[in-house]
Amino acid sequence: MRALWIVLRKELLDAFRDRRMLLVAFVVIPLAIPLVLAGTNALSARKQTRQLEGPLQLPVIGAERAPNLVAWLQSHNVKVLPAPRDADAAVRTQERDVVLRIDEEYGVDWRSGRPASVEVIFDSSRPLASGATVARLGGLLDGYSSTVGTLRLVARGIHPAVANPLQVGTRDVATPEARFDLSQQILPYLLLLLAFIGGMQLAIDATAGERERQSLEPLLATPVARESIISAKILATAVFSLLSIAVTLIAYRLVFAVAPARGMDASFDLGPGGLVQLFLIILPIVLLGATVLTALAAFARSYREAQGYLPLLMFLPMIPSLVLMVAPVRTQLWMLAVPFLSQNQMIVRVLRSERISALDWAVSLGASFAVVAVVWWIAARLYHREQLATSS
Amino acid sequence: MIRVEGLRKAFQTPAGRVQAVDGVSFAAADGQITGLLGPNGAGKTTTLRMLYTLMSPDSGRVLVDGLDAASEPTCVRASLGVLPDARGIYKRLTARENIAYFGALQGLDDRVIAERTARLVAALEMHDFIDRRAEGFSQGQRTKTAIARALVHAPRNVLLDEPTNGLDVMTTRSLRNFLLEQRAAGRCVLLSSHIMQEVARLCDRIVVIAHGHVVADGTPDELRESTGCANLEDAFVKAIGSDEGLFA
Repeated sequence: MRALWIVLRKELLDAFRDRRMLLVAFVVIPLAIPLVLAGTNALSARKQTRQLEGPLQLPVIGAERAPNLVAWLQSHNVKVLPAPRDADAAVRTQERDVVLRIDEEYGVDWRSGRPASVEVIFDSSRPLASGATVARLGGLLDGYSSTVGTLRLVARGIHPAVANPLQVGTRDVATPEARFDLSQQILPYLLLLLAFIGGMQLAIDATAGERERQSLEPLLATPVARESIISAKILATAVFSLLSIAVTLIAYRLVFAVAPARGMDASFDLGPGGLVQLFLIILPIVLLGATVLTALAAFARSYREAQGYLPLLMFLPMIPSLVLMVAPVRTQLWMLAVPFLSQNQMIVRVLRSERISALDWAVSLGASFAVVAVVWWIAARLYHREQLATSS
Repeated sequence: MIRVEGLRKAFQTPAGRVQAVDGVSFAAADGQITGLLGPNGAGKTTTLRMLYTLMSPDSGRVLVDGLDAASEPTCVRASLGVLPDARGIYKRLTARENIAYFGALQGLDDRVIAERTARLVAALEMHDFIDRRAEGFSQGQRTKTAIARALVHAPRNVLLDEPTNGLDVMTTRSLRNFLLEQRAAGRCVLLSSHIMQEVARLCDRIVVIAHGHVVADGTPDELRESTGCANLEDAFVKAIGSDEGLFA
């Protein structure tokens, strides 16, 4: 235990004297993550506002065939534009979000009381870019249609309610915290990624780097048990990444406090309790990352080889987020036993201010720490190989 | 006191199996400097690595002060001071911090570490760089720091792998005097070298290794006598069978 503490202290001292490592862990990452999130959030909020509240830019083909409809649209904040030469191409190349085509027979059908055709031309493969605009136009057209329909019924002396057997109302039960927004998508992944490989530089430096600089062999010639040495290096990595994460979270809060733009991230208004919960959730991932990285650094023949595995590791925390994006499912208990998937679910719950039961905590922490123990055992075996100190 | 009996070690390399050490036996007594002399690739470093338990022998055994290195590796490592072939020091720590780190790992308290460091600094003439960070140290400064770090726990047995490699004349001289002091203090000093003159000058006993075998073992006088050569240099060449790699 004493030896473990001595090695741990030395590794941290060594790391804290490495200016570049400090710069990345405590300046670059804590600034980059909140700024990128704040930036994208502000961008999407602005776009949303423009799409929903700004004038709707709408090229209309055959506007002269339906002057009343066009006038009605214009009175509802639609800016009617001349038709492009090739409407399909204009939409497909994203030059226009949506184009409205009024049928040649519109006037004839309208006057004879038959449904008159209009066509909305849009690209359904770009829901994020144009979905809101298309939905807004659809709502306007429905509104016009039902207004005119009601007037026609009234003109024939029929109560308009006859044509509306159902009245559909909606009630949104989402709490303000659970409001779907960007941070719920990105924050869990960023947190997990940071937790998992945030200590990569220290971990690789402390084993592969120590071997490359030829100081591992003298260290292994001391009476200290290799289990103590590797545990200390893993813990040093974990402590370092936890500090980096703490600074990042504080920076995140500060950035959002300084720039509380419209529609931005009410969901990250976590109190100290929430922050403690987040810390507890990612703790096993921090240890898992530190252990995996140390095992990798012991396994690799060189610093460069160890770095070569990093893209693979970056992908690991992404898998559950991708799965949930493609197939969103209700949380089930077994999911909390799968590292990354478990933490992803738990983080989302904390962000949504949902209650987490004692059983959920036990399964999530227990399973993840068990995986850490297995990887630790593998790492310790790797540290006992003869090639460890001598292979470079 | 170090005894080595029938040590063998082979490595699997892409080119095939290499028998690096093939039945090495010798003894290094307390109060003596024993030299392992042999050309590059003779098996000196591998032999030393088995002594400080970094590698385990395929067969044979190592006894340090009567303790078997295979069954009691921790006690053996504690009774050894090792300057390995790899002598990297921590660049972001000062020389003093480097030494204190190893002292703490050997279980010494701060007071003892400070005391021993002061003595080693005087013996190895390290005053002018002891509190500087090791980044940018010269080869000699690095080696001195590595030696001080290896000996901070005042081990009874001292192992040095090619200690004078890359050192200038003045540093070599102060290192030689330091090793003589260790001998005078009754320590068992075992060093490896491929430089004949150095071994001849410093060592009480010489173990000549070539191709993983011990080809000669004795005092300089005994070696001259057994090979029938009046000149020590001729005696070595005769013992090894060629002069390959001996004259650096």
